[in-house]
Amino acid sequence: MSNHAAGHTHHWEFSWAPMVLTIGIVLVVPLTFVSWFVYKNPTLAAGFAGVGVPLLLVGISKWVAEGLSHKPLIEGVSPSALPIFIISEVFIFLGLFVSYWTMRLSAGGAWPPAGTPEHMNLALPVVMTIILVTSSVTYHVAEEKLDHGDLGGFRGWLFLSIILGLSFLGCTIYEYSHLLHEGFGPSTNAYSTAFFSITGFHASHVLVGLGVFLAVLIPALAGKTNKYFTFCAGMYWHFVDVVWFFVATQVYYW
Amino acid sequence: MSTASSGFSLKEWVFTTDHKRIGILYLIGSIAAFTLAGLMALLIRIEQSSLGPTIVNPNTGGDQYNVWLYFHGAAMILGFLIPGLTGFAANYFLPLMIGAKDVAFPRINALSVWLFFGGIVLALLTFIVSDPPDVMWTGYPPYSIRTGGNTALYVFTVHLLGFASILGAVNFLVTVIYMRAPGMGWNQMNLFVWSTVTAFIIQLVFVPVLAAAVTMLLFDKYLGTHFFDPSAGGDVLLYQNLFWFYSHPAVYVILLPALGILFEIISTCTRNMVFNYKAAVYGGMWGIVLISGEVWVHHLYISGMPDWIRIGQMVSTLLISVPVGLLTISLFGTLYRGAIHFTVAMHYALGCLFLFLVGGLTGIPLAMTVLDVHLSETSFVHAHFHFIMGIFAAFTVFAAVYHWFPKMTGRLPGAAMGKLGFWLNIIGVHVTFYPLFWIGVKGMPRRYYDYQMFPEFEPFHKIATLGAFIVAAGMAVTILNWIISAISGEKSPENPWKSGSLEWTHCPSPPGPGNFPKDVTVTADWHPYTYGKN
Repeated sequence: MSNHAAGHTHHWEFSWAPMVLTIGIVLVVPLTFVSWFVYKNPTLAAGFAGVGVPLLLVGISKWVAEGLSHKPLIEGVSPSALPIFIISEVFIFLGLFVSYWTMRLSAGGAWPPAGTPEHMNLALPVVMTIILVTSSVTYHVAEEKLDHGDLGGFRGWLFLSIILGLSFLGCTIYEYSHLLHEGFGPSTNAYSTAFFSITGFHASHVLVGLGVFLAVLIPALAGKTNKYFTFCAGMYWHFVDVVWFFVATQVYYW
Repeated sequence: MSTASSGFSLKEWVFTTDHKRIGILYLIGSIAAFTLAGLMALLIRIEQSSLGPTIVNPNTGGDQYNVWLYFHGAAMILGFLIPGLTGFAANYFLPLMIGAKDVAFPRINALSVWLFFGGIVLALLTFIVSDPPDVMWTGYPPYSIRTGGNTALYVFTVHLLGFASILGAVNFLVTVIYMRAPGMGWNQMNLFVWSTVTAFIIQLVFVPVLAAAVTMLLFDKYLGTHFFDPSAGGDVLLYQNLFWFYSHPAVYVILLPALGILFEIISTCTRNMVFNYKAAVYGGMWGIVLISGEVWVHHLYISGMPDWIRIGQMVSTLLISVPVGLLTISLFGTLYRGAIHFTVAMHYALGCLFLFLVGGLTGIPLAMTVLDVHLSETSFVHAHFHFIMGIFAAFTVFAAVYHWFPKMTGRLPGAAMGKLGFWLNIIGVHVTFYPLFWIGVKGMPRRYYDYQMFPEFEPFHKIATLGAFIVAAGMAVTILNWIISAISGEKSPENPWKSGSLEWTHCPSPPGPGNFPKDVTVTADWHPYTYGKN
């Protein structure tokens, strides 16, 4: 947006970031998936992903750079906008949970269905919970540091949060590879269907959250921060954290 | 974001973050989707004009016909009606009506419109790939999972358009909450603004559930999961429940802004204050939001459910006519003792009231389980929802284009061609759908390309096909009229319909960057519909 946002603008405003980002999304998600899973054409899939990922990264970088260097039309509303977006996130998780509950409750006593490993690893989710809660705390500390003008401290605690998020994903990969090794995959039974869909969908949110953290950290290395962006990144991360409590209790311990 | 000087610049259009230009992009995309989906409708009508295969390949007839049905339904609802109303109309008019310079997040707005175009591109792949989707717009399993058609394209089309909608919802809700002109209270907002707010609340809550449902469909088909597979503990009706949990409220996402547009036009063209403003907002619009989430099961009357749920659903479905009735009373009450000016937009608005009446009244028997068990899956249902949702809402989009044409282009829309188009359209839809109501009651099934077992219905289908061609002629006239008027129409005065709404009284036509030459503030006695005074 223009630099004289407070006054009147006499120019048409434009940005190429949204369109580049969209092309990236369309290439990376639908077209890559369709090439790989529908047409079984790995070359085509690699081609789409190979063009799409750089476009996605360029689009996001440009978007963040613009956000940090231009004054918006109205400032400080993003902390109100994100909770509205989170409402819809809540409903997408609800859709998955309702499906899980339906399958589970209609199965009667026959749960978990045949094919589920005798002993699921129930210690790992505890570790993962601790990691995720800790990362929420470390990000909170990072925000406090920034509030007090301690940019170095902010970077350090943010970096720590990213490391914790990565270790959470590491646990997921470790768990998945063990389960797949035991022959428990997405197509095994109704429980595996819900298990991989819900934990996988949550993990994808962790991944997005880490992407947002990187988008905060990289400009911060150059000394650029935006308190609303920082706040929203944290709010999203805490939301993903809260969802994990539901995932853990419903999918692992029930 | 960068800025550039005046004059036409392609770069400033395709990379625009301005809400008005994004609105125009939405209009272009949704009219393109409408045109293609309309051509599919013509193919469907031609096919049904005679017994047996008419134009489909007799060997693959069913599949080919299913692809037409898929594209017609998906493109009309997801590509035309929702983006036409909550994309085009909301983008162009809402910020102007509340006196804002733009929406709260202009770049997210641009992201929305390009995601919408991404969805359109995926839908267009239907005509390119060798295995086009053939799953209606509903995508019911088990067919959608077992078909050789490309269900993934359907799923991702829904994802992209849904994501665009959710981003739009966040953007517009924040815009209305924080960017109203100083002094503008909640009860001073245009009804179109209220209708958009309520429609976006419905989108925000229900679209994600559809996204979840189609994602599970994708997983079931391509990753081998068992959400909808009863043989492995899944539940096939689960999909229908999740799908209609969104897709019934989606009807209100279309209805609400459509009614909002009618309020603007009818109030302006009758020189009357909207009748019962507060009842329309708090009873009608918010009432619909409240009830919208608990009526979806009536789409599953014949899919199998306990009787007590059927009764409860019948009651809640009929209950929706209370808020809808309040809105209807407000619309008709606004006409009462009005000085009616028959602009082209007003023609469409009055036509809409009639369509709404026919469509609404034919909905009542469908809400009744005893009748619905007989009428379900017949062309009666097909004709009913085309009246109430398809044509009614499409007419409000056309009405909006006519009413705000001078605002968008600075020129007046051609009245003679506009009225000719209107009469062809409204006569055509009645010729098309009255026969379908009738043979539906007699037992004509929906979605069949061949109806050899009912040779007595053939003449009715021929009449319906004739009607479809009348509408096609009407739409050709209408779209041609827009193009001609935009290029060489008569220059319009600043406020040709003498509206009291901010977009007409406070900003030039067409508005430039930043919309308003001076910051807008409104006083406590200002109201967009104070027509009684002049």
